[in-house]
Amino acid sequence: MPREKFEHDLHRLMDEVLELGAMAERAIAESVQTLKNQDIAHARGIMEADRHINEKRYAIENEALTLIATQQPMAGDLRTLAAILEIASELERMADYAKGIANIAVMIGAEGLIKPLVDVPRMADKACDMLHRALEAFIRQDVAAARAIPKEDVEVDRLYEQIYRELVTYIMADPKAIEQATKLTWVAHNLERVADRVGNICERIVFSITGHGEELDTPPAFPRS
Amino acid sequence: MPGSPSSGIQVRGLSVRYGARVALQDVTMDIESRQITALIGPSGCGKSTFLRCLNRMNDTIPNARARGTVHIDGTDVYAPGTDVVKLRMKVGMVFQRPNPFPQSIFDNVAFGPRVLATHRGGSLADVVETSLRSADLWAEVKDSLRQDALGLSLGQQQRLCIARVVAVAPDVILMDEPCSALDPIATLRIEELMRRLTEKYTIVIVTHNMQQAARVSDRTGFFWLNEARAGILAEFGATEQIFTSPRDRRTEDYITGRFG
Repeated sequence: MPREKFEHDLHRLMDEVLELGAMAERAIAESVQTLKNQDIAHARGIMEADRHINEKRYAIENEALTLIATQQPMAGDLRTLAAILEIASELERMADYAKGIANIAVMIGAEGLIKPLVDVPRMADKACDMLHRALEAFIRQDVAAARAIPKEDVEVDRLYEQIYRELVTYIMADPKAIEQATKLTWVAHNLERVADRVGNICERIVFSITGHGEELDTPPAFPRS
Repeated sequence: MPGSPSSGIQVRGLSVRYGARVALQDVTMDIESRQITALIGPSGCGKSTFLRCLNRMNDTIPNARARGTVHIDGTDVYAPGTDVVKLRMKVGMVFQRPNPFPQSIFDNVAFGPRVLATHRGGSLADVVETSLRSADLWAEVKDSLRQDALGLSLGQQQRLCIARVVAVAPDVILMDEPCSALDPIATLRIEELMRRLTEKYTIVIVTHNMQQAARVSDRTGFFWLNEARAGILAEFGATEQIFTSPRDRRTEDYITGRFG
């Protein structure tokens, strides 16, 4: 078969993107767990492990650039490599959000939570599930799935709005809650951004498959003007 | 519509046979004036045959028969009364291997204007200088115009051949793999030269080097073989579209190296 080595290298690179996605997904899910369980040691571990994710992202970038330079890919192959570069960067930024959440867990420390965390883990679960399926769509080159997943962002936006309003009521009831409520709003904001970036990934997948850029963004659900 | 002046080249339903074998089938293509059009595709798919139809070089091949029409700036190339010598003056050609005559650099460039007497009204030396400047060779040879052209490097020889074509003031320059015998530096010089030449000339280039087609051309035509092993134009479009998002599966497979 022609281009056997290129095919092999390209598929290996796609597998590595999948692996980077799994690392980012785990970091997001676990960061929210450390916040919920107030597990400071684990939160510090997540912050520390972020550098492995950064290293992996740069390794993928290097390999993709090497393939472009040495194999001169064209058309669909070139678009796939461009998508890999973009997706790796999105995943790395998602992991940064997880690091931010872990940092908030460390900052809140052992002080009692102003409310039990229910919707924040739901947001994390939803965002991680979207991410997981987006990367599956990339590997399977499933354009229909890539177009459908960003629509689910409204659910994440709805949860974000709900959390925000709830935290505002806590602040109004007790101004001492302002500091922690603000931090928890950051957490929700980070998770909302993760879901937005899943949308970006899906746009890259559609472009890599079809060759046409499509705007898959849903309108911002919150804050509404 | 074919025939309007300065409108490049219009090819309609062009087919070529060599005896019983159909080399090219039913090609329709509009080549824009003062642009570079690259023709790519595997060996034997009719690219060079197509190129040679544009100045009727195929007439020199026994048993070659062309059907269809080719209009260049309004002139029907295959019309019965066409003066083939004038046509080839108007549509010059650069070949795969540089083919300078075993004469001086000056005489190589002066050959066409002398034979065709196209330099009337201006001095031959001026035509030679202008042509060598156009071909980006003047600075290198201006002090050695009387030296043997075969003493030049291959890259210089190819630029000399381009100067020789330019000397008879063509409208179109056909290039059949003009860089395949050249090293990468000489190749890049020819490519840069081609870009500059589009200020005055329409260029059609056959190349097996897809990176070259991608780098240098405005539009790209992909030739392929049909079931009957005849060459067809499978896809034709803007170069950036062909190399990033080809519409035809065969183009995609060919340019990504999956067959061909």
